[in-house]
Amino acid sequence: MMTGVLPLVGRRLVASVFILLIVSFLLFVVLHVLPVDPAAMSVPPNATLAEIEAKRVEMGLDRPLYVQYGIWLGQVAHGDFGTSIHFRRGVLGLVMATLPATIELALLSMIVATVLGLAGGLLLFHTRGTRTEKAIDFGSILLLSTPEFLWALFFILMFGVALPLLPFTGRLDPNMSLPAGTGFLLFDSLYAGRPDIFWSAVRHLIMPSLALGIAFSPTIMRVLRSSFLDVYQEDYIHLARLRGLSERRILLRHALKNAILPTLSLMGVQFGFLFGGTLLVEVIYSYPGLGNLMVDAVRNADLPIIQAVGLAYCVVVLMINTIVDSLYLVLNPKLRLR
Amino acid sequence: MTLEFERRTLLQMLGLGVVGGTALGESWPAFAQGKDTVTIGWPSDVPSWDPNQRFAPDAQSIFKLVFDTAIDQGPDLKYIPRLVSKWELAADGLSLALELRDDVVFHNGDKMTAEDFRYTFFERIKAGHAVDTKNSFRKVSDIEIQSPTKVVMKFSEPNATVVQWLGFMGSFVVPKKYMESVGVEKFRDKPVGTGPYKLVEYQLNARIVLERNDAYFGPKPKIKRVVIEIIKDPSARVAAIQSGQVDITTNVPVREVTRLEREPTLAGQMDPMTRVILLQCRNDEGFADQNVRLAAHHAIDKAALSKAFYNGAAVPLAVPATPGTPGYVPDYKFAFDPDKAKAYLAKSGFSPDKPAKIKFASTNGHFPSDYDIARAIVQMWGKVGIAAELETIEYAKYFELNRGGKLPEATLYSWDNGSGDPEIFAGYLLNPKMPFSAWKGMEVGEKVLKLFNTVNYDERIAGYKDLNKFAVEYGATIPLLQSVQTLVRKKGLTFQTYGNGWVLANTMQWS
Repeated sequence: MMTGVLPLVGRRLVASVFILLIVSFLLFVVLHVLPVDPAAMSVPPNATLAEIEAKRVEMGLDRPLYVQYGIWLGQVAHGDFGTSIHFRRGVLGLVMATLPATIELALLSMIVATVLGLAGGLLLFHTRGTRTEKAIDFGSILLLSTPEFLWALFFILMFGVALPLLPFTGRLDPNMSLPAGTGFLLFDSLYAGRPDIFWSAVRHLIMPSLALGIAFSPTIMRVLRSSFLDVYQEDYIHLARLRGLSERRILLRHALKNAILPTLSLMGVQFGFLFGGTLLVEVIYSYPGLGNLMVDAVRNADLPIIQAVGLAYCVVVLMINTIVDSLYLVLNPKLRLR
Repeated sequence: MTLEFERRTLLQMLGLGVVGGTALGESWPAFAQGKDTVTIGWPSDVPSWDPNQRFAPDAQSIFKLVFDTAIDQGPDLKYIPRLVSKWELAADGLSLALELRDDVVFHNGDKMTAEDFRYTFFERIKAGHAVDTKNSFRKVSDIEIQSPTKVVMKFSEPNATVVQWLGFMGSFVVPKKYMESVGVEKFRDKPVGTGPYKLVEYQLNARIVLERNDAYFGPKPKIKRVVIEIIKDPSARVAAIQSGQVDITTNVPVREVTRLEREPTLAGQMDPMTRVILLQCRNDEGFADQNVRLAAHHAIDKAALSKAFYNGAAVPLAVPATPGTPGYVPDYKFAFDPDKAKAYLAKSGFSPDKPAKIKFASTNGHFPSDYDIARAIVQMWGKVGIAAELETIEYAKYFELNRGGKLPEATLYSWDNGSGDPEIFAGYLLNPKMPFSAWKGMEVGEKVLKLFNTVNYDERIAGYKDLNKFAVEYGATIPLLQSVQTLVRKKGLTFQTYGNGWVLANTMQWS
């Protein structure tokens, strides 16, 4: 099995380098042609125009764009992603400090989206041709057309204000401190033997991950239903019926294995969108992740952070896609034979 | 197919749901705080825990809990002693003698001395630390230490506003010995100040936890523990105060203040502060004609803007300074007079049928109701004969557009000046050598530059009052409103309001 996966990962790694180079160049160009003035944002507010010009020269902003990109790329090769204009701290440190929180949120949201999507897909298929299907279908369209930030606000009003069941700011209760470790709070709290922190972190994650997950579940739901409809036309399903297998067994043991494959590919793509969707949700829930950092960076025209966060998003999406493709290979023996 | 949910299964699921919900509810932290704790919902984080590093108006209320400025401001914005007990600016403005308190101790136990003062305002700037204070104190040529509590700041040229700057943004005294021993990076991770609170926990973009500094030299705060939740989204701040997750929050939309103050446990405030909302004007293109500029000013009903967008709490302004600050001119009025506006336009051959055409820019969401105010102004202008094409710009774009001379004739702008000093109002807003001023004409510019070098306080203030009136009558600026600090708090929590919008936890108490 691994003989097929390893070459795929290798090929993906090589391709990733080129993709990252292209994305970094595009990001660099787009950010540097925007009508914002990083030099003016870098100096104290009481700086004169002459001082801003001097800063512009110091930052190399007066040089041709390709030269600026070359310098930046050279620094990145040495692990230097620059210094934040606003925080005046190394950008890499800021990204690494906030990335685990966002990955944790995105993974949990993906689990929510997957559970809801698969359950909904099964239910849609199960109720096909009935009035219930139409009702569920309508519900899924409603979910699909409601953006994640609206869900976020709705959940706050519902479970934060009207029925105050869940907290909706930060990652932990005010009386708790972050345990030292990887930054992945769920893991760190368990590793530190602190179930109270783990539980607090889970409660803080429920609303944001639901808001993100729910918004992404209808697509999974609908693709899974379509896959089932296709798969149920296959001969082996008819054969299974002739063998007298129960419908439940046919659905879960035979049809699901094949119907899940297109859904899996879709989930890989969805994760990229979901990761991007953390931006607004993190701001609404005051969740200290990469999205929150990015929104601040955009407000402050903090180009080094925007550039690094953009690349971080790209790296995560590439990684997830590689994992999904590998999984696809593992689950689909036909691809391994080729 | 036989995939059916049995009633028993459904009941079991329902039971699980109830148990789960109860568990969530039971583990809900007790948000009702004790009398010695307060939780604040604050709209932004500090840029860094090096307080000299970045000027951020919103961060001042947080910095002031952990650090102290040399000179402080009272609720009425008057300059009062803090770490410095006495000061005297030389008549020529070339030196400032200061006497420091001798009973101030940093959080790490080190005594604050003249060495720390010299390090903060001279040595670290000369050492090339990336601090915004380097511009505030650029004229400092040396700081002479006469004794552990006496220093004299020497300036390379007359420094008229050094006292104001010693009490303004970023001018917090940092410990020389500690900072030199651990380095700036480590200092930012574990800051040490002299303020009424010590930092005990910091989560970037999420939470700041402070504990009372019982060795503080000043009045002992009533609140022992302060938790600051960084909540950037206004809707989330509203939800947080309404649900009781925080005890006080600021920058709440005006309509939400009105709604929330009807809740029995909450109180709303809209306090005028040292922030002006104004139109930054160009001196060329469609605004080259003074008649058009003055007509544009006379056509704006500022009281109506205040009523519509600030519930009437924002004070209409005639000059670019706020009431209670030294540069304000209380008896000076600039009338809302559409007929006069039409008359000015007629002099230049314009009318509602043949309007003067200009471009107008506004941010959308940079300050409360900014874009709505801009749209209302466009309507008001349309009635007298000015056709404005409104465009939205990002706040960060303002400087770049201004640098390239690409700002439109008028830009809706908000300017915060916690010091209240007129130099940082009209002085900065109309100084053609600074990045804020869209007005590049030297008829105003020369007056501003002259005032930057006027040392005598009374003469300087009188000069700025004259400049404010001149600039308005010349059409170089169109002041609109004094902005308000919107705030919602639990009724049992009181605090001292400041004219510049500081919300200081060390003045809070539960009743």
